[in-house]
Amino acid sequence: MSIEVQYRNRAKELLSNGEVKLVVGYTGGTTPERRRPVFISSAEQVDRLVLDDLCIANLSGYLVTESLLSDEKSVAVFLRPEGIRSINILAAENQLNPDQIVIFGFEPAGNTIKALDGTNALEFSEFVVSLSENPSVSDSDPVIEKLEKMSAQERFSFWQDEFSKCIKCYACRQACPMCYCRRCIVDCNQPQWINTSPHTLGNFEWNIIRAFHLAGRCVECGNCDRACPVNIPLRLINRRMAVEARESFDHFAGLSMTQEPVLASFKKDDSETFIL
Amino acid sequence: MAKIGVFICHCGENIAGKVDTSRLAAALGDHPGVSVSVEYKYFCSDPGQESVKKAIRENHLTGVVVAACSPRMHEATFRKACAEAGLNPYLCEIANIREHCSWVHSDGDMATDKAIDITRSMVEKVKRNNMLQPIEVPVTRRAMVIGGGIAGIQAALDIASAGQEVVLVEREPSLGGHMAQLSETFPTLDCSQCIMTPRMVEAAQHPNIRLLTYAEVEHVDGYIGNFKVRVRMKSRFVHMDKCTGCGDCYLKCPVKKIPSEFDCGLGKRTAIYTPFAQSVPNNPVIDKTNCIYFKNGKCKLCQKACAADAIDFEMQDEFLELEVGAIVVATGFQVQNTAMYGEYGYGKYADVITGLQFERLASASGPTAGKILRPSDQKEPEHIVFIQCAGSRDPSKGVRYCSKICCMYTAKHAMLYAHKVQGGKTSIFYMDIRAGGKGYDEFTRRAIEEDEASYLRGRVSKVWEENGKLMVRGVDTLLGRPVEIAADMVVLATAMVAQPGAKEFAKTIGIGYDEYGFYNEAHLKLRPVESSTAGIFLAGTCQSPKDIPDSVAQASASASKVLALFSKDRLEREPVIASCNEATCAGCWGCVLACPYNAIEKKDILDRSGRVIKQVASVNPGLCQGCGTCVTFCRSNSIDLAGFTEKQIFAEVMGL
Repeated sequence: MSIEVQYRNRAKELLSNGEVKLVVGYTGGTTPERRRPVFISSAEQVDRLVLDDLCIANLSGYLVTESLLSDEKSVAVFLRPEGIRSINILAAENQLNPDQIVIFGFEPAGNTIKALDGTNALEFSEFVVSLSENPSVSDSDPVIEKLEKMSAQERFSFWQDEFSKCIKCYACRQACPMCYCRRCIVDCNQPQWINTSPHTLGNFEWNIIRAFHLAGRCVECGNCDRACPVNIPLRLINRRMAVEARESFDHFAGLSMTQEPVLASFKKDDSETFIL
Repeated sequence: MAKIGVFICHCGENIAGKVDTSRLAAALGDHPGVSVSVEYKYFCSDPGQESVKKAIRENHLTGVVVAACSPRMHEATFRKACAEAGLNPYLCEIANIREHCSWVHSDGDMATDKAIDITRSMVEKVKRNNMLQPIEVPVTRRAMVIGGGIAGIQAALDIASAGQEVVLVEREPSLGGHMAQLSETFPTLDCSQCIMTPRMVEAAQHPNIRLLTYAEVEHVDGYIGNFKVRVRMKSRFVHMDKCTGCGDCYLKCPVKKIPSEFDCGLGKRTAIYTPFAQSVPNNPVIDKTNCIYFKNGKCKLCQKACAADAIDFEMQDEFLELEVGAIVVATGFQVQNTAMYGEYGYGKYADVITGLQFERLASASGPTAGKILRPSDQKEPEHIVFIQCAGSRDPSKGVRYCSKICCMYTAKHAMLYAHKVQGGKTSIFYMDIRAGGKGYDEFTRRAIEEDEASYLRGRVSKVWEENGKLMVRGVDTLLGRPVEIAADMVVLATAMVAQPGAKEFAKTIGIGYDEYGFYNEAHLKLRPVESSTAGIFLAGTCQSPKDIPDSVAQASASASKVLALFSKDRLEREPVIASCNEATCAGCWGCVLACPYNAIEKKDILDRSGRVIKQVASVNPGLCQGCGTCVTFCRSNSIDLAGFTEKQIFAEVMGL
């Protein structure tokens, strides 16, 4: 039995016996190679669920939709390993109760996918620890290698070119499961720290602030990168910040539901090279 | 409409010598919203302050900027002046054009341009300042003194004698610290224990002092006037309420050869022990690592010997949560381990000892009952070589600073030796004789002139053993020739260093420390007994090397600071505190974790039927210290700091 059928059956079972009120999953998209999110709330609709290696979006962001979980009923969600880490962060940051989340986990295996054991985020603890021990740098990006070799000045002009394309649509923010603030800092206008108009200064301000807000929180699911309509390689920034968090503070985002945010916590052995 | 007054201070030549103050005044006079822009030689002077007040009244100013020295210097002065003229003091700001400008630049024109920028940006800030009212917090009139050496005891006694409660915490089983280990004390040669033990007893019996020995401070929360301290009462395995201090237990203890810490390893003690005969309290403790019962489950001889049934092997550590208003830190020092001087042979030759070990040999309560005997063969030494600065003033191997007491105690050692061993010869290698203090120089002269100590100015290069003698090779720089002495004993005047855990402990209680681990005073000259944390004071050698008179003086000084704090019921605090916008807070608790003062709490937002809709951060104004860490962390910009609001800071930046 394929995973798709397995999970359809599970979804049907959970929805019929009322264990979950909603299943957040994937269905066919506008073209054959695309998948889009689908929200299934009755057992009759489970056949709409599709699961294959084209399902790449991190769906955890939908779980923090305002008042979705406030009735204390459970929701099932299809998650890749990054998505499970997102659940850990959202739980650590008090944005959801992990006991309300039923996880349909899967991970890529060659050209196909395989199911992950477990349903509650806690059951994936060991799995997530194993992820942290083998960070997936294997899919090395030629652009990253190119960037690493650049001088600071060259890198600056590289980003200046990339950011010049930004149209301030904030699709990256909307797609990101970590951007759950009711009011984003870019929406503050008293004072207006970040210029809203899409010129160089404002674009730098937005993207740098975004990088800092995601430092130690980004699980590199790629939602922002895929969402960007002008193809700014946002994954490169996220990767850089993830490497910084790991190298400076031995921090792997989403390691557990009790993990402290790297920029808000202080450990006595933190490197303090910036303090004289 | 803003009416800002700008007052530009010359600070004599300090500012006006570099910055063109007339150009500055003219530039600010043209700045939008500025009604008054004047300069004066010294605005902090009485007529200077009067002119500020007059300008406020006459021009109905809505804000004041004083372009002068650092706000650390005179912010309070000018805010007070503004308040006296009827302006809310928090509508007054200082533009620092001295430390940040005139003192650090050489080009006058550019410095003036910068001064204009600094002052303008402050004007922009003041336009957005709000009137703030001081916060009042209650004061818990109970002090904690950490450390039961002479400094801690003195501070505790002074505070207690003034009628305030004191909790005195000592981590060792007995009060006394290093002073209890000393033999006689310079410059009067009175017996250390004879003057120390009565003070220890007085502290233990004082009705206002609660004595906690064998106890360690684990955690400090709160702020001036309202500290919460967690103290670990280490298990003594002896019930103090039952123990009579008879000593039967340690007479029976079969483990008798543990090197005594109190005797610096020269004497031995048992596994159940009191550190010394005059210990206060006189109740023993069981040293778990050496006790046979704790090692293999058999023995309990002490329990059988105890008529009072005071010994309890099941005893566990207990924790006390104490509320205190002020803390005096008197955690003392350690003697530096001299093993880094391989050439002096400390640790290799039994008769090379430290100054503190010599104190134990010379002490009547010591392992030799006050006789100066060589540790190796218990013979009386005929010739002792003292090596001063064995660690101090040595940047390459030891510490850079002078330990301050070694010149004096070495002279004292020479004197004690001369008094106890007739005909004994003393040679002292020294770098300088530092004997500043009442009666100190006379004391060292006495050691040289009456007790015939031979002082050799120079360093020792090597000590080795030959035919039962310790050969000391050094140089006498005054005669310009090498010296070789066959000695029976070598005493190293080792450096005073901070306690091994001093830095960790400073972090626990939240005070600053220097590169060596000594605790930082708020101002070396003008606030020498205050730490940088309000309500925490320093006494004794935890701050820097000191002798007994200095430690006692500093202890009394910190006691007087504590008493001044306790003289009021309530304390006024700056209203510079954070507040949270509950509408936009996402409740991620980043600020709760980031806050170093535990001042942010979680608050439930309820709907009409009492159901929790969401949780948000809420700042406790009593605990908040206004550091702003939460503000920088908050991703949704939901926390703001009064006096330094985002609007103010933004205006300040844009004013540049």
